[in-house]
Amino acid sequence: MLSYVLAGLGLGSIYAIAAGSLVITYVASGIFNLAFAAMAYAVARFYYFLLVEEDWAIVPAAVVSLFVFAPALGMFLYAVLFRHLRLRSTLVKLMATVGLSVALPPLVNLWLEQPTDPTAPGLAPRPLATFQVFGSTINADQLTTYIGLVVVLLVGVGLLRFTNVGLKVRALVDSEALTSLSGTSPGRVSLGVWAASATLAGLAGILIAPTAGLSVGSMTFLMSAAFAAVVAAKLRSLPLAVGVALVMGVATNVVQKYIDPSSDFGAAVVPSIPFAFMLLFLLFYALRGQAGDLVAGGALDRAIATQGGDPTVVSAVTGGSNRRVLNPAVIAGVVIVGIVAFLPGQLDRFWSGLLAGGIAIAIALLSYTLVTGEGGMVWLSQITFAGGGAVLAAELVRNQGWDPLVAVLVGAVFIVPVGVVLGLLTIRLGNLYIALVTLTFGSLIQVLVFGRDPFYNFGSGQAMPRPEFTTTNDDFAYLALIVFCVLAVLIVNVRRSTAGLAMSAVRFSENGAKTLGISVVQTKVLVSGLATYTAAVGGGFIAMNAGSTLPDSFNPAVGLIWLAVLVTMGSRSIIAALIAGIMFVVMPQVFSTYVDSDYADVPVILFGLGALGLALHPEGVVAQTGNNIMRLFGRRKPAPVTQVPPGTPGASGPSAGTSDPALLTPAARGEAATITAGGQA
Amino acid sequence: MSTALHAPEAAAPDTGAPRLEARGVTVRFGGLVANKDVDLAVGSQQIVGLVGPNGAGKSTLFAVLSGLLRPTAGKVFMDGEDVTGTSPQKRAARGLARTFQHPELFSSLTVREHLVLAYRMKNAKSRIWTDLLSFRGFAKSPKAEDARVDELVESLQLGGIQHLPAAGLPLGSARLLEIARALAREPRVLLLDEPSSGLDVRETEEVAEVLKSVVRDHGVSLLMVEHDVELVLGMSDAVHVLDFGVKIAGGTPAEVRRDPAVRAAYLGEEIEKPAVQRAEAEIEQGELA
Repeated sequence: MLSYVLAGLGLGSIYAIAAGSLVITYVASGIFNLAFAAMAYAVARFYYFLLVEEDWAIVPAAVVSLFVFAPALGMFLYAVLFRHLRLRSTLVKLMATVGLSVALPPLVNLWLEQPTDPTAPGLAPRPLATFQVFGSTINADQLTTYIGLVVVLLVGVGLLRFTNVGLKVRALVDSEALTSLSGTSPGRVSLGVWAASATLAGLAGILIAPTAGLSVGSMTFLMSAAFAAVVAAKLRSLPLAVGVALVMGVATNVVQKYIDPSSDFGAAVVPSIPFAFMLLFLLFYALRGQAGDLVAGGALDRAIATQGGDPTVVSAVTGGSNRRVLNPAVIAGVVIVGIVAFLPGQLDRFWSGLLAGGIAIAIALLSYTLVTGEGGMVWLSQITFAGGGAVLAAELVRNQGWDPLVAVLVGAVFIVPVGVVLGLLTIRLGNLYIALVTLTFGSLIQVLVFGRDPFYNFGSGQAMPRPEFTTTNDDFAYLALIVFCVLAVLIVNVRRSTAGLAMSAVRFSENGAKTLGISVVQTKVLVSGLATYTAAVGGGFIAMNAGSTLPDSFNPAVGLIWLAVLVTMGSRSIIAALIAGIMFVVMPQVFSTYVDSDYADVPVILFGLGALGLALHPEGVVAQTGNNIMRLFGRRKPAPVTQVPPGTPGASGPSAGTSDPALLTPAARGEAATITAGGQA
Repeated sequence: MSTALHAPEAAAPDTGAPRLEARGVTVRFGGLVANKDVDLAVGSQQIVGLVGPNGAGKSTLFAVLSGLLRPTAGKVFMDGEDVTGTSPQKRAARGLARTFQHPELFSSLTVREHLVLAYRMKNAKSRIWTDLLSFRGFAKSPKAEDARVDELVESLQLGGIQHLPAAGLPLGSARLLEIARALAREPRVLLLDEPSSGLDVRETEEVAEVLKSVVRDHGVSLLMVEHDVELVLGMSDAVHVLDFGVKIAGGTPAEVRRDPAVRAAYLGEEIEKPAVQRAEAEIEQGELA
């Protein structure tokens, strides 16, 4: 038993370092760093490069990796990304870090190449020494992990509690604006926080590499387990995060004494333990009403914030507020759909198949347009509902003999209750918690359902034929496009109706909506249900296009890339969903066909960088392009669309609340920008 | 501002009981007592002012009255019926509408859409579900809806901004929009949290006229939290004063003006002299008005 506990403490120590770092950076910056594993991989890969490929000794390799490369990486990321995020919406923050997690590993691999040997040495010398502790054996890697945690805790707590630097960090947590007014540069303090965070990420990455391997996938999985400890700590409490992380590590290992991890049951249960922890804590906090989002900064910070940038705040071009049926957005959308409809007849069978696959994914992406774009809820499990739709439709075809199209459209109805229940369970949670619980839910379903037979079937899943009348790729592409258009029209109808107005009302002010007589529960259930149905239909089409359910293609990690591509294009725009779906499928193939295979990851890097761009342009590429075009027209017409006319009552007063800078009046924009510039380094 | 507003439809028969009443309302947040045993009533077609220094518990009481906060003790009644346990939606359905100290607007909706939504929440029941099965989103708005919304837009001078999103509206415009949205709900009782904040003197006077016409001509009852003492004393039939969560005075404006406890609350000794002089001057102006 003791050996299980000691091994568990090793795993728990790594969780604890990761969880502690996530808590400190979240509290200090308001950003939950989903790119933590990517940063860990980057530093660990650099350490591996120095240690193995350049034959450096352990100490200089570790010193340069952890105290030169890692802080430089953290400071660089702060300068180009994180400093723009502090007062952005949760969605933008999450997507920017998702973009980083998508782009950083392939960028590092482009520089240092993919490691040839996934087993990597840690900080202990090889061959590994072993030690006897109360009759149990521990190795030097485990020992360095324990020591690593102790050093991190002593140095971290000492710095935060007893030094001037710690005082400044704690001041920054409370209010960036007041910190600035007291003569401290918040930018320099934040720079230090992110440098330290990258160092801790690197330490966790180097420590975990010997057991988990030097791969992004394994690090992502283990680091996401650390999220459970962070959630248990309500994102704020460092001691609780460290304590729960250690308990989780021990529990994961001790369970293996009683359940064989190589058995089917054990293979499903053991990796699920951290996620089960997280769900339990989330439900506990949700029921106690203690799972709201952290409000970044103090009252002064919020008062002078220019951003609050939310990609789902409608712009003049993307449309929801435009009551005219034939507005510029609709015309542009019809033109783009027309171009896509024109393509199948012009492409060969291969590219036509890719196009059909892209449209199928676009159908699934419409679910994000609903749940995130309309409902304002950051759900990261839409790909899981898509997988559910695919699996259920395949079962209906195989076991009930249903027509594939009917199976997809009707089968999706049976997935809806799952989404509705998840919606009801998360109704009291803040956006960040919703994102984490839906991501966890997706990971659990992936491990417990999609990853198990008979659904997994060695990765190929179940056969899912296309409808008989769509034997060619061209026919299937047209069918998918028709379904996409029907769903798009339904979404536009909802958006323009009372239901759509109510959805917007609820997402921007629940109190305002309630006192108007709108049922928040009813509205959120409606959004959840519609989005789940759309995702499930999309999943069915993806499976029909592939001829199989392919369970791995519905992994939540892939879903993050889906969402990154979508929000890069524009999370509220239907046309953005179509473009994003097609790009997601076609671009990698374009690169692998026409560019050197060394650059096969470039599309993934571009997707990630696109999401990073949200920090500066939260409205997305489609809306941004549309606005630019409208501005060109606007130059010919004197009255800008968003300017409050002179003489409007109260127009001379300050702006009410946060808003998208693009929608502020020029006066308000200029005034706020001046103040904020003074508050940053 | 035009004051030509349609009469709201009565949501409940007039029983003679106060439209809105708080009895013994107490709200505790841990050890902090935000409201302590507060009684207050708003009669039919009455304008009632609620004043008090910062932190007196006015906004907490508003939250209790509108159903956003459940009191620790005490009851809330509408038309004599206990609504303490009912949701804000149900109170809205009974004819209660409110505005907020910090405007609670729906950023992506235009000014006009705010009013359309409020109107529909009153007049088009069960639309959320039927919207899905029809194509009402593409249908033209009913004439009655357009007329009512146009009327409110004109009354509160929102015409110039009616097609702009609420995000980034100046505070004064946002406040007017909140009032218009509340009126679009055709309420029987209207709770206004600092309606004049962000407006200049002329705009405040015009808003006051609109509110008076709503009460006078259409039978709406008004409960108003306001820091503009002159506005409150000039408009209200009755005024209640809160201090540290306790109601220290209540009565007609004249009675409240003379109340020594009110003067002490407003002119506490820790307040520096110029502030005292300003406050005294405000009260004197109110008396003259």
